[in-house]
Amino acid sequence: MATIGAHGITARLPQGFEGRIYVRPSAVGPTYPVAQFATFPIPDEVGDFGSGAVNLMGPGDVFATLFEYGPESLGTALFARQGRPAALAAADFSPTMLRRGLPGQSGTQWFFTEAGRPFSFYAVLGSHTMRHVLVPRLNQLVTALGVTATAPGLPAARPLWN
Amino acid sequence: MIALVVVSTFAVLVLGVLVAGLLRSHADILRSLHELGVGVGDPVLEAGAATPAPAAATATATGAAPPTLAPTTLAPTAAPAPPLGPAPTIAGRTPAGDARAISVTNSDGLTLLAFLSSGCASCAGFWEALGHPGRLDLPAGTRAVIVTKGPDREVPSEVRARATGQVPVVMSTEAWLEYQVPGSPFFVLVDGATGTKVGQGVANHVGQLVDLVRRAEHDRGGDASRGGDRGRNRRRGRRNDPALGGPEREAAADEVLRAAGIHPGDPSLYPRTLDDVFPHRS
Repeated sequence: MATIGAHGITARLPQGFEGRIYVRPSAVGPTYPVAQFATFPIPDEVGDFGSGAVNLMGPGDVFATLFEYGPESLGTALFARQGRPAALAAADFSPTMLRRGLPGQSGTQWFFTEAGRPFSFYAVLGSHTMRHVLVPRLNQLVTALGVTATAPGLPAARPLWN
Repeated sequence: MIALVVVSTFAVLVLGVLVAGLLRSHADILRSLHELGVGVGDPVLEAGAATPAPAAATATATGAAPPTLAPTTLAPTAAPAPPLGPAPTIAGRTPAGDARAISVTNSDGLTLLAFLSSGCASCAGFWEALGHPGRLDLPAGTRAVIVTKGPDREVPSEVRARATGQVPVVMSTEAWLEYQVPGSPFFVLVDGATGTKVGQGVANHVGQLVDLVRRAEHDRGGDASRGGDRGRNRRRGRRNDPALGGPEREAAADEVLRAAGIHPGDPSLYPRTLDDVFPHRS
């Protein structure tokens, strides 16, 4: 079981998952860590919330992203929840929760604060019909995530695909 | 007269001994060549079905690859070869300090792992070529990944200078140990459909490497004419491929429905209300 960690986020990847934890470069202001995980090859060029990736999913795949927001979000009502959900339920997923509505898929999104950092966890199932099979697999990932209080210093230059 | 007969007889005997010795020597040579797999009159070779030098493939299986390992070891051999071992996930750092894990078993396509170093002179050509995978003409669906040693053994800025951003670069000393990499450059080809290594070894130049990957794809029954990621998604289907149309699209949709347990006549195919389509919209 592979383990990756960067920018104050760690993940012990369940079998079949791959992932990356990165900070997208920006010339206009600070950006914050993003962690993406999937049961299929994540393309080199992909949006933070999976655009460019979710269209490649098969019905048995899952995709998830843990997206950190800026400190100005701390204390707001949207991030009032403390800690990520311990486990997701099949009923948490809906085809209407997708950022990009693709037929057959469904998604869920949670906003919360963990270790003093505001996050959004967004997950997509390749098949809403198979949610009872896919959600337990996703929960393996959710329980394998770790967040520390502060992200270490970020390097300045990074390739675009990171 | 008697002396002439004696001399002639003696000469015939000597020549006979010489001929017998030559025949025996020739037989020894043929036997040795046969044992090496290149024997004259070898019925396997005559049938055109064998690749020579199985001994080199065995060397790679043990991880004790010689410095100039034959590049043919990267391709599957016709004869049953010992298993090359598991293909674990590659996990490490990117040259920019981010984290990256690449699973080589979550697709049906081939993954070409190129173990390179920043200071290795013979790696330079592979850095350049693999950094622009679109020019390589690898089989469709083949994923190239460059793996260097971790930041403890490599200089990230040197690696970053060689990374083009078009192919993932993972810095992981653990991966080198897990894949038993003897030195750089070294290549491992993994078949995602079976989750196993299908070849490993050294190639002398990029052309050889590409040729061997194409042969491996051909041997596993692939079709190089498949476009884009279609090959990568053979097993899982590709329902959202906008390039699909007509019967192909219909077949892809049927495949997805069957995978989800929805067969012809299923009530979910005939919704009567919006709630049937979006059961959780309220």
